[in-house]
Amino acid sequence: MTPTLECIETIQGHNDRVWDVKWSPNGMLLASCGTDKTIRIWGKEGNKWVCKSILQDGHQRTIRKLGWSPCGNMLASASFDATVCVWDKRSGEFESSATLEGHENEAKAAVWSQSGTYLATCSRDKSVWIWSVDEDGDFECAGVLSVHSQDVKDISWHPFEDLLASASYDNTVKLFKEDDGDWISFATLTGHSSTVWSVAWSKDGSRLVTGSDDKTIKIWRRFDPGNMEGVHTSGEDPTWKCVCTLSGYHSRPIYAVSWCHNTEMIAAASGDDSVSIFQEDLSAGDRAEPVFNLICRVRHAHEQDVNAVTWNPSVAGLLATCSDDGTIKIWKMTGE
Amino acid sequence: MASHFSGALQLTDLNDFITPSQECIKPVQIKKAPPSKGRSKIEITEDGSYLSVDANSGKSTKLQKAEITLNDCLACSGCITSAETVLVAMQSHEKFYEVLQENNSTSANQKKVIVVSVSPQARASIAVKQAINAKNAALALSIFFKRLGASFVLDTTFTRELGLIKSAEEFMERYKNKEKMPKTLPMLTSSCPGWICYAEKTHGKLVIPHISTVKSPQQITGTLVKELLSKHYGKTPSQIYHVAIMPCYDKKLEASRQDFYNDVYATGDVDLVLTAGEVQVMLENESTLLAHLLNEKDSVNFEVVQELKPTYLSNETLLNHSGGGSGGYLDYVYRSAAKELFGVTVDKIIYKTMRNNKDFREVILKDEEGKSLLHFAAAYGFRSIQNLVQKMKRGKCPYHFVEVMACPSGCLNGGGQIKEDDADREKQKHILAMVEKVYNEIPTTAPGENEDVKRELDNLKDDSERTERLLQTQYHAVETDETLSLNVKW
Repeated sequence: MTPTLECIETIQGHNDRVWDVKWSPNGMLLASCGTDKTIRIWGKEGNKWVCKSILQDGHQRTIRKLGWSPCGNMLASASFDATVCVWDKRSGEFESSATLEGHENEAKAAVWSQSGTYLATCSRDKSVWIWSVDEDGDFECAGVLSVHSQDVKDISWHPFEDLLASASYDNTVKLFKEDDGDWISFATLTGHSSTVWSVAWSKDGSRLVTGSDDKTIKIWRRFDPGNMEGVHTSGEDPTWKCVCTLSGYHSRPIYAVSWCHNTEMIAAASGDDSVSIFQEDLSAGDRAEPVFNLICRVRHAHEQDVNAVTWNPSVAGLLATCSDDGTIKIWKMTGE
Repeated sequence: MASHFSGALQLTDLNDFITPSQECIKPVQIKKAPPSKGRSKIEITEDGSYLSVDANSGKSTKLQKAEITLNDCLACSGCITSAETVLVAMQSHEKFYEVLQENNSTSANQKKVIVVSVSPQARASIAVKQAINAKNAALALSIFFKRLGASFVLDTTFTRELGLIKSAEEFMERYKNKEKMPKTLPMLTSSCPGWICYAEKTHGKLVIPHISTVKSPQQITGTLVKELLSKHYGKTPSQIYHVAIMPCYDKKLEASRQDFYNDVYATGDVDLVLTAGEVQVMLENESTLLAHLLNEKDSVNFEVVQELKPTYLSNETLLNHSGGGSGGYLDYVYRSAAKELFGVTVDKIIYKTMRNNKDFREVILKDEEGKSLLHFAAAYGFRSIQNLVQKMKRGKCPYHFVEVMACPSGCLNGGGQIKEDDADREKQKHILAMVEKVYNEIPTTAPGENEDVKRELDNLKDDSERTERLLQTQYHAVETDETLSLNVKW
């Protein structure tokens, strides 16, 4: 039986386009945000996804992306008003606990590291900022990385190391690490011929998937010094190389990619209103040239651009998407 | 392309890629001719100039071209996309050669007096690249610029000392008034132009009252040079051409500030700023090694203008101040304040480095019960500036004084210092360590002990108007107009 993606619920609520959806770390809650400057928290009651709370008055303009802390108690929101808001629900309800200022203009994403030590933010001002929490519980800036030459669209932390990947309008992905107290860029991934909209790590952290305005999806692999494949490296740093390009599947830009850490499937959302699912064929290819196959495609997943796609971290095959059409959809993979 | 500016400036929209020209809001003033009766049309000539042609008479008038200068860009809250381009054309070593050439070919009474002042940080960078010591670099650089046509080659350390002393004075004043006047403390240093530009553009109202009114060594030198030499030669300030050699690209912007511009004579206090890197390019272009120039010290004449003499760059009288490669503002103000306010003589300043950030250091003077009397900090690099500003915003800033520099590691690591192509981090650290070593070769003196500095300060004592003109400046918050942003509808 061929795998299919079945829409199990369409959620209405936002008054305008929905820019992002993110599952809480335990997969029980779904947070969404958009042009209406609100964040909505959704939870399941019976068979229905209902709005548990609406977080508003935190931002003056569109909220572009969200990021949950690994403990699930905090949510960060990046807004076009140049600020990042941190919402804390340790008191029971989500409350705005800090506003991070510093970006010169539109903030595009805010993501917590898996260790919970760092919060990274990025912006149209071409910079990536790393924040940590000081002795007083205030956020302090641990690094400002101005290495991209254009707008930074997306950032993603490594699943267990304090390594950060950033995707930019300058067509590249850059990787950052801490070195002797300073955050530095140690790798640049070039290959896309247009804006890289989205970046995500594989479960083991040895690979990255990117989605681009050039309508392709690329898989990148880390080759450590002395690797068996004989890929050239310099010094102690690994080399990152594109090992697979998936093209011809989408007719418009790919705005979001998500790599499931349960099933290892890759989901992609596109401006052509569709969602596609790819899976690695482990019987073909090798580490240096893996083969990924399209296993499922929903052509009209939404009425308009699909802005985000994300796998549920605990329920295998559960997927959430959101769109310019103002809706959020929950999907279930069947027939695997 | 990597920008030459410091991180703080790069972030303030220097090269905004999306909406540059649309956001240029500078209202260009054009003197309007009385409107002609009847219709006229505009023609563009082959050389690109615009002509207004009267439809009736056929008479054509050349229209004035609207020009946006660097000053306009800097004073503007919109883009300053054009800043870098304007800057490159206005403040480059090519421009310096042009001025020199022009000067060599004009009659004696039309000639400008060319003055070059060299900062000790830039000097150290050039010395390392040229593999000579600090003293020899001083001598050789002065020979190099004299041979090119400069009448005077100066060292900005002398004027820095005036600035240090004035800073300490200002701090005591602020400290004594801290209860009466809001926003006096912390006092934030003002010698870093990257920091000043960022503060004015991004945190104007909050930060400006805290910024020291003392000018940077570059600008004190600028005022002194134009004042003394125009008097000495009976020339206008515009006939004195002053070039500053700096470790920093942002200094070019500082020299272009309206506050340092004389409208009457249409001249700035500093006409041109070149970085250590650009001086190295000049040396390479002429295939000159500084070490070889040392043999020629008898071949160049050193004219003496008595009042300017203490500032001459010479290998014999080099000055230095303790407290590191960014000028030693914290060091001197801390020692002075401890002494004057609490009668404590500070022997050695021991800094505490903040968690995970070697560019944010602090020092506390405590009384016998452990109560903090003076709380000073040095905040270098954009990241440290951010944390300082956020602390101030939250009303959680415990400091009395902060030495603020936009570059990590401070001025010796300035954006204008000589860079090795494709040097990795280790190599860069090594070069910086060498520059620090050469910088510190010159023994330090306590500000105020030098006889010439004392004399200069005595001269200033009862002349508050001149003191202000020579040593102080002001800052201007840049108002941002939200309605100008094209994306405001989102």
